[in-house]
Amino acid sequence: MALRTLQVSPGFMRFMPKEYQDLVEKGPFGRKLKLSDLGTYKELLEEHPMCEGCAMAFFIRLALTALPAPEHTVIVGTAGCGRLSLSQAAIPFVYGNYCDTNGVATGIKRGLALRFPDQPKDVVVIAGDGGLSDIGFSQVMHGWFRQEKFTTVMLDNEVYGNTGGQESGMTKRGEVVKMAPIGKQFEKIDMIGLAKTAGVAYIARLTPTNPSRIISTIRKAVLIAREVGPTYVQAYTSCNIEYSIPPEKVLEDARQVEKERYGFLEIISDEAKAFLAAQDAAHRE
Amino acid sequence: MANTVNQRVVTPEHLLFEAPRTKAFITGSEAASEAVRRANVDIAIAYPITPQSETMERIGNLFAEGYIRDYYRAEDEVGAFSAISGASRTGVRCMTASSGPGLMRGLETIASWPGHRLPLVFLIMCRVINAPLSIQPDNLELDYMLTSGNILLHGENQQDFFDYTLAGFAISEKCEVTLPVAVAVDGFFVTHARAWVEMPSAELKLPPRDCYSEAVPMIDNENPPVRIARDAPIQKSNFISYQMHAAWQQEIHAAHERSRKWVSRYINGLVEVVNPEAETLIVASGSAVSQSREALRQAEEMGKKVGLIKVKSLRPFPTAELRAACRHAKRIIVPEFNCPGWLNREVRATLYGHSEAKIADGPRVYGGITMPTELILEWLFKSE
Amino acid sequence: MNGNEYRVKPGPEGLLPPAAACCGVVLSEKGQGLVEGALKSENDTLRVMARELLTRQNPTIFPGPLVLWAWREGVADKAASVLELAHEIPGVRIIPMPDYRPIYPKIDPEAVINPCHPNLTIWHNKIEVCVFIGVHCHFANITLKMIRAGTNCYTITLCHEAGHEDSMASLPFADANQVRALTETIRQLKREGLRPRYADTPGILLTAAQEALSQGLVWQPAPVAQ
Repeated sequence: MALRTLQVSPGFMRFMPKEYQDLVEKGPFGRKLKLSDLGTYKELLEEHPMCEGCAMAFFIRLALTALPAPEHTVIVGTAGCGRLSLSQAAIPFVYGNYCDTNGVATGIKRGLALRFPDQPKDVVVIAGDGGLSDIGFSQVMHGWFRQEKFTTVMLDNEVYGNTGGQESGMTKRGEVVKMAPIGKQFEKIDMIGLAKTAGVAYIARLTPTNPSRIISTIRKAVLIAREVGPTYVQAYTSCNIEYSIPPEKVLEDARQVEKERYGFLEIISDEAKAFLAAQDAAHRE
Repeated sequence: MANTVNQRVVTPEHLLFEAPRTKAFITGSEAASEAVRRANVDIAIAYPITPQSETMERIGNLFAEGYIRDYYRAEDEVGAFSAISGASRTGVRCMTASSGPGLMRGLETIASWPGHRLPLVFLIMCRVINAPLSIQPDNLELDYMLTSGNILLHGENQQDFFDYTLAGFAISEKCEVTLPVAVAVDGFFVTHARAWVEMPSAELKLPPRDCYSEAVPMIDNENPPVRIARDAPIQKSNFISYQMHAAWQQEIHAAHERSRKWVSRYINGLVEVVNPEAETLIVASGSAVSQSREALRQAEEMGKKVGLIKVKSLRPFPTAELRAACRHAKRIIVPEFNCPGWLNREVRATLYGHSEAKIADGPRVYGGITMPTELILEWLFKSE
Repeated sequence: MNGNEYRVKPGPEGLLPPAAACCGVVLSEKGQGLVEGALKSENDTLRVMARELLTRQNPTIFPGPLVLWAWREGVADKAASVLELAHEIPGVRIIPMPDYRPIYPKIDPEAVINPCHPNLTIWHNKIEVCVFIGVHCHFANITLKMIRAGTNCYTITLCHEAGHEDSMASLPFADANQVRALTETIRQLKREGLRPRYADTPGILLTAAQEALSQGLVWQPAPVAQ
């Protein structure tokens, strides 16, 4: 019972900082919360150092809200902007090395499965396009080939944002960014197609335009990873700094990108579909 | 079926020193896997490279037999070492292995294990580093391991490979240590050659890892704090002091110091000294020790007294032991299986200001060349 | 090597003092303690701890996650023993270290102590003696080094495991029994006539942050005192 780690020892509550008092008394742990509950409870993530208007920060907030069992979830991240907020969240966060998220997640998932065979533990990699499609590519692909049961969420801002705006494999062809002085010379890597080829059980591509869709996508991805096999969510989370998008135009840009090229896409394996149907049926009862 | 469930848990002390042993004529690869059979390992992750492969193949068989609980062949060394680091964070006992180029490939990960405070055992079957390509023994990769923050033991033979591997788990998981332990032997000379190895019964095993008695919280959602950012990135000076990183690095070195007690206990001292009164000394580690023993015997036949200091632990380095053993020495040679002479450098740095001895810059062989005893004798008495 | 050569005294010790373990200080066995780097009996160690806690400025207990969260059997009792200890130290404060993460945008030194910047809490509250209990050893050691580097705080550790070379007084393998033994030693020193520095303000003091919180007020941390 992980909720024991959320019980303050008798007599110590009055010495605890406000955020912990709130987390214990009004946190999301052990509760079934919906999008409409936002604002009524203490969220897993509040203060963080990400930029004003950042679509990624917005997406992460919603993704954390979507976790079906935050008290039994581990998040794995790596270099990049996302970890600046993930390391502030009320959830164990592992920051390893460059390229290693999906290898580390493999070890965590397997280790936890050995120690807690009767308690599902959700492992979620949340990392950037560079971390997953470039330097971490091999581990992402092989985790999928091995059918490791964890979720991979790509925060696709189409650039190395945290290091100052260099070309990544997910940058659009022709885009002039740092280290692409004459424009990127090849297409955005088709991670969706690769995931499909590798037999990923649930694949989704989306933009942060629709909060309830973000929540349902992440929730499905985590639950399917728990029961069926690897899942992959690729979210367009623009870097408003490197792509010079004014903070107030970030969502407008997301809507436009969604309409023009990103869309909303779900590819669900037959086994995952059957699992979701069974879930729905159980939910209705 | 013989498997880990039927093994009896005993203390490391009992398994290493008290339990009756029987002799087997086996290779180093077999000795290492026999140690793992008795080590109550949860997860082993493999990636092939010569001359390491046979050990991890055999450990795969242990998985099939039920002696370890999970095992797979990873995509490459970085994948294997990353996954092991994930597994170690969850509190399970884990191990992996590699050789020369594979170790070099995974070096970023290896060097991060200590900072992440990850108990695990890493077996190294030494092999030359390319280029040009060669699979032959040569222990240059240990030079890179010396500053990696890992505890580093260097076994002389098949027996050491068995004993140090078992000891490695016990050392690694001590709370005040909480570090990875690398156990190295020279490839082929040890891994592929047979020798007599004395082993306790396979019906015994080490106690399981006691992960809540370590220096850091486990990533398992079952121990506090609920917010674990145990390897928090340190870069924003307004909310993390750079001094934290400095103190963190110091803490790894401090943990090495604390490990001395346990390394010394579980492998019977950081050094072994033969003929301590001799004025001409050999300081060696790994297979060079075996060759030196034979050279020493030959020297005795010639009526010459030679001493030998076997360095068993490279990290922590036996600073005090070496200074004490070399206090009266007049001449020291350091036979090694690598080109730059990393042990020679360590010996010189350690003895500077503590010994009047003349320290020869060799002898060394590398690239797969063996170390003839004649070479050692020639260097021993060169000055005469 | 022995512990007699290098003394682990209160700082400020300088920009980057060495780890005491690298200067020859070795951890004590069960039944012993470390005082300023030297091995002492458990009883002598407890007496030193008690004296420092009663006589130095702004004594503070820093409970860590292993005591703050009742995550397994025995913790609630240990936590109770820490409160009993606090009640015997007049003018003591309890400032928790509930986790180890780098807290953004910055810590409130009246609400927490954090291993990423522990000296801020020591400086702000002018703490000259403190007790760490229930902190994982890695983070305790880092915290202790940073405190010793930049502050004049006398650090005491009641460690569940092997103890800490970098604190001025350390007791290893300390469970609720050892905490209660320290409490008893404090009582004994008082019986022997030692008048506590804050004898006129008995009980546990709340920091301004804790006080505000207990009254349901919104607390703004004060700027760090110059």
